[in-house]
Amino acid sequence: MDPDRDDAARLRRGDSEGLAGLMQRHQDRLFRYLLRLTGDEAMAEDVFQQTWLQVAERISRYDAARPFAPWLFRVARNLALDQLRRVRPESLEETGETAAPAGTGHDPLASAVAGERSSRLVNAVAALAPLDREVLALRFETELELKQLAHTLGVPLPTAKARLYRALTRLRERLIAYAPAEEWQ
Amino acid sequence: MSAHPRELLPLAAAGALEADEQAQVAAHLAECEACAREAAAWGRLATGLSELKAPRPSRTLVARTVEAVEARLAARAERAWNRAALGFLIAFAWTLALLSWVVVDLVAGGLALRLERPLGPTAAWYAAYVVAGWLAAGVAAAFAGRRAQEQGRIA
Repeated sequence: MDPDRDDAARLRRGDSEGLAGLMQRHQDRLFRYLLRLTGDEAMAEDVFQQTWLQVAERISRYDAARPFAPWLFRVARNLALDQLRRVRPESLEETGETAAPAGTGHDPLASAVAGERSSRLVNAVAALAPLDREVLALRFETELELKQLAHTLGVPLPTAKARLYRALTRLRERLIAYAPAEEWQ
Repeated sequence: MSAHPRELLPLAAAGALEADEQAQVAAHLAECEACAREAAAWGRLATGLSELKAPRPSRTLVARTVEAVEARLAARAERAWNRAALGFLIAFAWTLALLSWVVVDLVAGGLALRLERPLGPTAAWYAAYVVAGWLAAGVAAAFAGRRAQEQGRIA
């Protein structure tokens, strides 16, 4: 039996233990995804809380025949994109010089520990457009399957692959521009 | 040698190819050194992305979220209970109202017989009785709601 389905059913009955189970399994990757998508820790925290509130409110709309994670990420995505559009009315496909999430690159100690290479990668990802960061986070940091990724984005599978391809090539171009001699070549 | 599948290499590194495409790429890489080097670079990039360490949500954030959701669940349960109670009361009130028709009819008929004069149409008396009952209930509900609102505001 799928534990997500059990917990979703409990949450539907108003049992907060159901929420505890769902959060325990999904909170880390959800937060990582939101952090990459928004590029802002405070906004990611806000959307994280709103997402779980909406999950509690709308759990009766969740189709238990489907996996829970894509539904959860879709709720989170809609909330995050609404917030991003409010603070950044220009297209979400345009790059912005967004700061890297706190503690992942600008702090000298963190950089020394994580290594310059990793730090450069984090900064390059942070400088991508939100929709590029999003597809990379979904693929590499949330462990969603490709079909689930496409469902979360609300696009057909070939479109999801095209977005992934575009984000990867843009990221590599940035990395090569930052450090031409490095191993990204 | 087959054509260079350069466009497929990023997706191959991301594990996003179909099995036949993956096999086509693997066959080409076995015989093309330039593409193999390119595929290795994409592979390093994919590994780097998979190993990125993003912060986890803080305990404070998780606790705050759980608290907010529990409050929302409690409010939802209260709303559901209030709806059920209201539904029951409305059904009960209508049952009483319909049953009282019989009582009104009996009383009005008996009184008319005792006084040996007609008291007017029973239906009109009954309608007046029901409307008066609903008006009184409506006013009481409005007062109760207002009081609950004020108490909520104070609390």
